[in-house]
Amino acid sequence: MTRRTPLEAEHRALGAKLGPFAGWTMPIEYGGTLSEHRAVRERVGLFDLTHLGKVEVTGPGALDLLQRILTNDLSRVQPGRARYNLVLNDAGGVEEDLIVYRLADERWFVVPNAANTDKVVAMLREPGRAEVVHHDDWCFLGVQGPRSLEVVGALFPESADLSFMSCLETRYGGERLVLTRSGYTGELGYELFAHDSLAGALWSALMAAGEPFQIEPCGLGARDVLRLEMGYPLYGQDLLPDRTPLEAGLRWAVAFEKGEFRGREALERQLREGIPSRLRGIVMEDRRHIPRPHYPVFADGSKAGSVTSGSFSPLRQRGIALAYLSPADGFEPGRPVEVDVRGRRGPARIAAPPFVDRSPR
Amino acid sequence: MRDEGGGRARVGITDYAQDALGDVVYVDVPEVGTRVTASQPFSEVESTKSVSDVFSPVTGTLVERNALLDERPELVNDQPYGDGWLAVIEMTDPSELDALMDAAAYRAFVEQAEKH
Repeated sequence: MTRRTPLEAEHRALGAKLGPFAGWTMPIEYGGTLSEHRAVRERVGLFDLTHLGKVEVTGPGALDLLQRILTNDLSRVQPGRARYNLVLNDAGGVEEDLIVYRLADERWFVVPNAANTDKVVAMLREPGRAEVVHHDDWCFLGVQGPRSLEVVGALFPESADLSFMSCLETRYGGERLVLTRSGYTGELGYELFAHDSLAGALWSALMAAGEPFQIEPCGLGARDVLRLEMGYPLYGQDLLPDRTPLEAGLRWAVAFEKGEFRGREALERQLREGIPSRLRGIVMEDRRHIPRPHYPVFADGSKAGSVTSGSFSPLRQRGIALAYLSPADGFEPGRPVEVDVRGRRGPARIAAPPFVDRSPR
Repeated sequence: MRDEGGGRARVGITDYAQDALGDVVYVDVPEVGTRVTASQPFSEVESTKSVSDVFSPVTGTLVERNALLDERPELVNDQPYGDGWLAVIEMTDPSELDALMDAAAYRAFVEQAEKH
C-alpha cells in the first residue's frame, strides 16, 4: 500500500500524472515538466511535498542529540534560522541529508527525505534524550519562484521578514503552521508545514494568490530538473552510503570543530589517506547527448566514473550531469571528458555547479 | 503510422505514447537510406525524464526523416499525428500493413493495458 497525499483530489482535478515515489503516490507532472520548470524560473510554482518527513525534536537534550547524529554545528544556529546537515554511517558514508530548522531555543524541526524518515525518527528516538514528534499527519507545500514572496505574502505578511534559510511559526485556520524560506530549486522560495486538515484550504488559497502571476502546480519531475540545474545532490542518486561528504563536495556541511559525531573518524581517516573520488558537474557539448544515471564517463580514453544524476537543462539547452570521478583532484572545471551515451561517446566538459546563473538568496 | 500509398508508410509515435513519455527534448532519427526492420528499434525519443526506443512497425528503407524535429522536438508532443512524424519508410513488403492494429484496435489495446 502506498501512502496518499491529502491533496490527491486537487491533483487529479488539475490533470496531474501521479506516480510512485518513495512509498507515496505523488504528482509527477501536470502541464508538463518544461512548462512547470519555466513557471518556477520565471514566475512561481506550487509543489506538494507531503511525502517528506516532518519531525519535531524538543527539550533540553535536543541540541546534544542532534549534534551527535548530524554533521553540521547546530550550536551556531540561532532560533529562527536553519542549516543543511548530513547523517553519516560509521564508514563516513552519507545515510541522509536534511535541513534542520531551529524554531525556538530548545525546539527543532527536521525534514528528512521520504525514504529515510523512519530511519531518522528511529535514530532520534534514543531513550530519554529528547521528545520526538513525527508529524505524520502534516502536509508540506512548497512555493518557489521569483514571485513567491507575493504569493506567500498574501497569506502570511510576515514572510517578507524571512531571510534565506530562516523560519517562523504562525497560524492558519486556527492551527499551527511552520513557514520557512528554503527550497530545492535555486529560486526565491517558501515552504509551509501544517496539519493535513489545512492542506486543501492552503493549496486553494496559494493557487488563488498566485493567479495574477500565472502560478502553475509543479510535480516531482520539474523539481528534479530544477535541483539538478543548481547541482543540488539528491539522496539515493548522488548521495550514497558508500560515498563520503568529502567525495560529494559537502565538506562545508561537516563541522569537525564541534566535537564528536557519527562518521567523524572515518572522514578524518579519509582526509589523511586521500579522497578517492569527487562529485563533479558535467555539461555536454552537443544538444543531442543527454546523460542519464549510470552512463560511464571517460577521460583520456579510460573510465573515470559514472553519472549519478543526468538530465536535459531547459535553461542551458544542454545535457547536464553529476558524476563521481577519480582521481578526486583530476577534474577541474573546463577539462574535457566524454560520456558514453548508449554506445556513442558524447563530448563534454567539467563545470562547477550551479549549471545555471540562479540563486535562492 | 499512416499509409502514404506506393508502398510508403509515414511513422511516428501515438498520442498515448507521447503523453506517457512526457516533454520530448530530443529525437534521434537515422539518416535517409538506413535499413529498418519491423519490431526492431530504429529511433530514440528522449523526454525530460527518460529515453525510449521507437520500434519500427514495418521493414524497409528510411526515405525521409523529419528534420523539423532537430530544432523542435516538442512537435512530437504537440502534433504526434501531424508535424511530429519521425520518418517515411519504403516498405519491402507492403502487406505487412495488414498485420498492424488500426486506431480502434489500438485504443482498445491501450484501454485494456490501462486496466492492468
